[in-house]
Amino acid sequence: MGSDCRAAGVAASNRWTALVGGAVAAWAVVAAIFAVNGTRSLAQAPEAQTLGVQIHTFVDSRGVTVLSPTVDLGRDFTDRTGLRVGFGVDAITAASDSCARCHAEGATNTREFVNASILKTYGDTKVTLGGEYSHENFYQATTVSTSISRTLNQANTTVAGGYAFSWNRPQLHPDEIVENQGAHSAYATLTQTLSKSTVVQVGYELGSILGYQSNPYLRTSVDGVKMVGVHPDARLRHALTARLRQALPADMYLEADFRRYSDDWDVNANTWSVGLSHEFDPRVTLSGIYRRHGQQGAYFYQPSYTGSPEFYTADFRLFPFDSSLYTGRLMITPKDGLMMFRPGTSLVLQYEFYKSTTNFEAGIFTLGLRLPLKHP
Amino acid sequence: MKTTTRVMFVLALVAVGTGLTGCATVQPWERGRLAKSCMQFSPDPALTAFAGHWQESREGAAGGLGLQGGGCGCK
Repeated sequence: MGSDCRAAGVAASNRWTALVGGAVAAWAVVAAIFAVNGTRSLAQAPEAQTLGVQIHTFVDSRGVTVLSPTVDLGRDFTDRTGLRVGFGVDAITAASDSCARCHAEGATNTREFVNASILKTYGDTKVTLGGEYSHENFYQATTVSTSISRTLNQANTTVAGGYAFSWNRPQLHPDEIVENQGAHSAYATLTQTLSKSTVVQVGYELGSILGYQSNPYLRTSVDGVKMVGVHPDARLRHALTARLRQALPADMYLEADFRRYSDDWDVNANTWSVGLSHEFDPRVTLSGIYRRHGQQGAYFYQPSYTGSPEFYTADFRLFPFDSSLYTGRLMITPKDGLMMFRPGTSLVLQYEFYKSTTNFEAGIFTLGLRLPLKHP
Repeated sequence: MKTTTRVMFVLALVAVGTGLTGCATVQPWERGRLAKSCMQFSPDPALTAFAGHWQESREGAAGGLGLQGGGCGCK
């Protein structure tokens, strides 16, 4: 029986590999066409490059510390063709909820990701093709994505849409079994300028996740026995968004966002945020933002289980809870550049404090630098 | 949210959106404040991506737009 299961698993894995391989190959062909088309016009206009470097530090109430340096490079070959590449690392120390059960002294992990996208502009239409690969202990993810946007009505209206597919492969550590998960997501937005000082955006997001979706590390009590959770293998997600940006007197700016989320696991959530920014000088902007999130738990969530439930979970992301996020951000663009860097260099300092009703707290600090490397 | 409610909400959004497109025509020389970074919906994509990544590891309703989840270390 064990060999039957293994054979079935290998067959399923081969089907996944063929499916995803075909999708990635098709995407690569299209990306290559874009790239060749872009290099043809390399000499038509001067190049522009920007380099972004950010360092994020995440410390939470479980004792987990994550240090995440990221680098992104943008290069505009012409005014119609651009390339973006990025690389980042999550260096994770100490034990998270998932690891603490087996590694009481803590477990370290690293996650590396690399991504790239090509942007092409055709008149009022922009098209992007991109991809990302990430790898960490017991988890790999590959994503391909595309998006399109078009401005209308003398650039007062923008319609945009996009699609992404992710192939995720969690390993059921400490077992060697590797599971598969496919996630499709799509979105559409409409952005409209209402006046010289008001912009609004409405959007819709649709997602479908198929395959293994349990958390292989978190355990819940079933008839008094600690068991790894079992989740359904299909999930359909919807979200509606509404966003506002309003310029106010005295160089003040208001931002307000709302997102209504629902899925067929009955995780329904309302998330809203409101923020104020003040431009002290064209080169110094200070912002404060408050975000509130409230969600209903999945239909199969219970603090503990009895009998023979089909599905059960210990994943805190499926619990009912509320959370608050406080953000403070300072952005500086010195007139004459920053230290040895040329004019146009910008510096961002951001601190966030997150607190949820599941007794989880986290502080997140970000230091970012964006440098123009080459001017047109 | 029930399907009919959701469909009605989407239709309402489309109606509102369609109505909004006829609201105003702001000329290019009137867009000074609209061009400020504070008026953008995602002024710093790197910050937005990082926020999406860590929020997806804490909230079941977050993520979903091509964002990749994490394994053991993040959860």
